[in-house]
Amino acid sequence: MDHSELTARLAALIEVDALNYWEIEDYVEQLAAQPTEVQEEVLRQVGVIWPVSQALCLDFLDQVQRGLNCLHHSRLGEWVNATLDVYEKDGLKQAQRFLAEVESNFLCQIRGKSGLGLTEAGGRLLPYLRGLAGRALDLASAPTTYTDSQTIFLPPEITLCKEKRENFLTYKLLASWQWGLLAAGTFSARLTPEQPLIRELIVRHGRRLSSEQPFPANFYHLFPDPELAGDLFLLVETVRITKLMRQELPGLMRDSAPILAQLRRQRPALSGLEGKNRLLEALNHWALTAAPPESAAGPNAKLYARAVELLLPLANTGGTIDDSLGITAQLYRLCERLPGGYHPEHPPILGGRLQPRAVEAIRLRRREESRQQFIKALGAMLAVEAGENAPPERHPAQRQKPSGLPDDAAAALLPPPAKGGEGEQPLKPPPAETEYITVGGREIKIPEPLRELAGEIRQDLGRIPERYISAALEQAGTAAVGGPGPDPNEGPEATGPLLYDEWDYRRGGFRKNWCTLLEKQLLPVSSPFVENTREKYRGQLRLLKRQFEMMRLQQRFVRRQKEGDEIDLDAAIEALIDIRAGHPASDNLFIRLNRDERNIAAIFLVDMSYSTEGWVSTALKEALVLMCESLQVLGDRYAIYGFSGMRRSRAELYQIKHLGEQYDRKVKGRISAIIPKDYTRMGPPIRHVSRILAASEAKIRLLITLSDGKPEDYDDYKGEYAIEDTRHALIEAKAAGIHPFCITIDREAQEYIPHMYGAVNYIFINDVKRLPLRMPEIYRALTT
Amino acid sequence: MPAPEEKIAEHRITTKPFYLPQGDEVEIAKTAHANQLPLLLKGPTGCGKTRFMEFLAWELKLPLVTVSCHDDLSTSDLVGRYLIKGGEAVWVDGPLTLAVRAGAICYLDEIVEARKDTTVVIHPLADDRRDLPIEKKGELLTAPPDFMLAISYNPGYQSVLKDLKQSTRQRFVALEFDYPEAELEARIVGRESGVDQATARALVRVAAMTRALKDSGLPEGASTRLLIHAGKLARSGIAIRTACRVAITGTLSDEPELLAALDEIVSSVF
Ligand SMILES: Nc1ncnc2c1ncn2[C@@H]1O[C@H](COP(=O)(O)OP(=O)(O)OP(=O)(O)O)[C@@H](O)[C@H]1O
Ligand SMILES: [Mg+2]
Repeated sequence: MDHSELTARLAALIEVDALNYWEIEDYVEQLAAQPTEVQEEVLRQVGVIWPVSQALCLDFLDQVQRGLNCLHHSRLGEWVNATLDVYEKDGLKQAQRFLAEVESNFLCQIRGKSGLGLTEAGGRLLPYLRGLAGRALDLASAPTTYTDSQTIFLPPEITLCKEKRENFLTYKLLASWQWGLLAAGTFSARLTPEQPLIRELIVRHGRRLSSEQPFPANFYHLFPDPELAGDLFLLVETVRITKLMRQELPGLMRDSAPILAQLRRQRPALSGLEGKNRLLEALNHWALTAAPPESAAGPNAKLYARAVELLLPLANTGGTIDDSLGITAQLYRLCERLPGGYHPEHPPILGGRLQPRAVEAIRLRRREESRQQFIKALGAMLAVEAGENAPPERHPAQRQKPSGLPDDAAAALLPPPAKGGEGEQPLKPPPAETEYITVGGREIKIPEPLRELAGEIRQDLGRIPERYISAALEQAGTAAVGGPGPDPNEGPEATGPLLYDEWDYRRGGFRKNWCTLLEKQLLPVSSPFVENTREKYRGQLRLLKRQFEMMRLQQRFVRRQKEGDEIDLDAAIEALIDIRAGHPASDNLFIRLNRDERNIAAIFLVDMSYSTEGWVSTALKEALVLMCESLQVLGDRYAIYGFSGMRRSRAELYQIKHLGEQYDRKVKGRISAIIPKDYTRMGPPIRHVSRILAASEAKIRLLITLSDGKPEDYDDYKGEYAIEDTRHALIEAKAAGIHPFCITIDREAQEYIPHMYGAVNYIFINDVKRLPLRMPEIYRALTT
Repeated sequence: MPAPEEKIAEHRITTKPFYLPQGDEVEIAKTAHANQLPLLLKGPTGCGKTRFMEFLAWELKLPLVTVSCHDDLSTSDLVGRYLIKGGEAVWVDGPLTLAVRAGAICYLDEIVEARKDTTVVIHPLADDRRDLPIEKKGELLTAPPDFMLAISYNPGYQSVLKDLKQSTRQRFVALEFDYPEAELEARIVGRESGVDQATARALVRVAAMTRALKDSGLPEGASTRLLIHAGKLARSGIAIRTACRVAITGTLSDEPELLAALDEIVSSVF
């Protein structure tokens, strides 16, 4: 592409007025040097990022040269996707940083060849990890390997081995190993100055147990060289966890032997190292493959042998975190005998160092969440209990504080929140305690739904703080005297704004929480529209009603069955005649009650965009009237919603008739009130009504959309993007057990239609006047 | 046509079934029987409900009539019907009637699969009337004291349609079954398939991991039954990873990435 073409293409993608002319020039200058396929790929990615964040997109353009130095252009998409994930999770700053750190994020040494990206590995690795952990851990990419106990961070790409399969195995090993840390309790010990080991260390090194540092960082800081202590602890834990993994995951460890050997080959040679560095590296070698390094018998062979001796019991029979702490302290003393300082220049064994602060942050967040959840849930239960047991006028009395324990006293019993681990109570109370809590002086059994949460809180804090319970009581009191609920006659309230993802085909992923959908009520108008329509189609309507009535009765009885609930008299008489006549008689003599009662829920989703103005809108409304009239006799449950809106911040859904509602004056008034509004963003309304349908109790769930052409919104929801999102929303509906069916009214068939609806059924109507009568026909065909 | 006594004799359990209790379920079920209360067994597939019923029947020395319910099951399928035999209409008892007459245990497996209108016939039988009306014959059977009705259902099914009606469920003593706790399950797997305890434990570990995948798109984890299958294959000389793949992972999902992840689980443990 030449200069001017590039400028034009770029300007078409991004709003030029957001930039100065010379800024665009800069980017074009850079890109012009690239071959066309690279330029195309960059432009494609610009199209992906710009609508999500303009600032990030400009950053991307700034960094793309560096990215291309490091990545093959076919992998730009992966880079961009990873960046957008960071953006959606942690915001712009972090995403910009992620972009800037492309080299370390994508371990660039061996470019392209056999490397395996985390994005590619994740599809299989994530469920594996969740199965292993028994909970919903997440995976994310980061320059080094570590875990915060909620997410396991792994390098974005692994190129350790020649084969993809082996690189996957490396991912699997690293992820399993991080799980091992969590399973083995590497982060969950509590230190107190009273513990003999800690007391001894305090005396020996004259340092205090820090209350600022979470475990195990507070442990390292008991030593004069925390860095050395930290790496020793990591080594010891490696040995302990490797043992655990050999026990729990023998297959993995067997398969991984070549990987571990490879990792060991990548460690620095001992010959270039001295003193503490050398000893530690020798032990790292040993820990990886349990074989002594070649030059172990160097200057400090004795110390090395002694260190291995200390580690062997852990390697052979395993141990607890306390064992690890003890051994770390002993190793530290061995190291002290060596001259010189400790200057770790090489990456730590098996990925990364521990990140106690990250774990602590998650722990505190979870503590706060479970506190809120617990109070809310217990409060709600107590409120229900109070409502059931007490006459309403007694409610105010229930609001009093729990007897005996004034709030402040209860709070005083709490271990200091959000402080380091050491001030807290020992964990693991006897299991029986999990069953009961004391509420207002009386023991109550923890209600089933709260058990797990209560267990979690006890795990964390040692017990359930009184404060949680008094807060729940407080809340229960307020709820019980709270005002009356919404007036049931007012009909369903329009719900608050709801967020929906949107599918970006270029990215092959969702834009998270991208659209805001508002569910609104359409105000009924009094108009002769429905009556006029009935009059206009009077003859046809009579026919339709008969047809629909037939559907109701259709196939209720199947005759001439081998068995059934009733004797089929005709068949029986025939058979008797046959016998008399000396013929072999049929034994299909029964009538069977057909089980197929209609159990159908349907939602009609109607386009209310401005393009329906005129005939189309009228035809749509007439179609709805005929549909409702026909369905009256059939008795299927159905709902009608209209949709329109403008931009992703305002997708609107108008409730015309909900599933439980009768076809009454109000509904008729709302159908009459349908008028063309704004644009056609189809994704959010499809996703929303799919949810409603999925929750309905029907055996067959139908989603029938009526629109007048391409989905389109005021912003970038156009063309391929809009079609792909709509298509994806329909596929999602299908996956949720819904049968989507689309009716499109357009003067001529467009090529996009088969693609958009390819996965679902659709019908195309080019003569809008035929719609009103076609619609009940279609419905009939769909449901018989 | 065999006489009723002959027919019920087929349902007697002749050898003691192997069953390891998970808790006090045997005692509760026996007490329910003594008090003429019907049983509702809840629990995921393959966790031992059927085996438990066999064991209970053996302990109570009663025949066990089992009906696997399906969505075509009609009232007549349960109660009985007239059949034309040699030009004559002959009444044939259904399994439920058979069990009521003989004072046996009638076990309706997967009751939610049955049509709603079918489920209703058990109502008078499941409350203190203990009656079974046979409308076609104009007969009202009252169950003898030994008769016991038991139904099972798997609450794990997603569909709201497959839920048991309140009016039905509120007649029963409910026993909740789940996969046995790990050590017990390993013993069951070892005993039923013949693999050694170490293998059995590893199989149970695989199962636990698959059961944790509920939120990752796997509708149900591996049942005890599947572990036994894998164990049996391994016992007969199939490599253990292969045995797990065909007997466990392959049956749980068709989704390629989930399948791959399940295979990774297997190859980690074995
Ligand atoms: N507690 C147990 N004692 C002995 N064997 C058991 C036990 N639990 C399960 N099993 C074994 O598991 C297998 C499957 O159990 P069973 O057929 O009873 O499951 P189920 O709950 O009836 O399943 P479904 O709901 O699919 O019918 C049995 O064949 C038996 O070998
Ligand atoms: Mg069974």
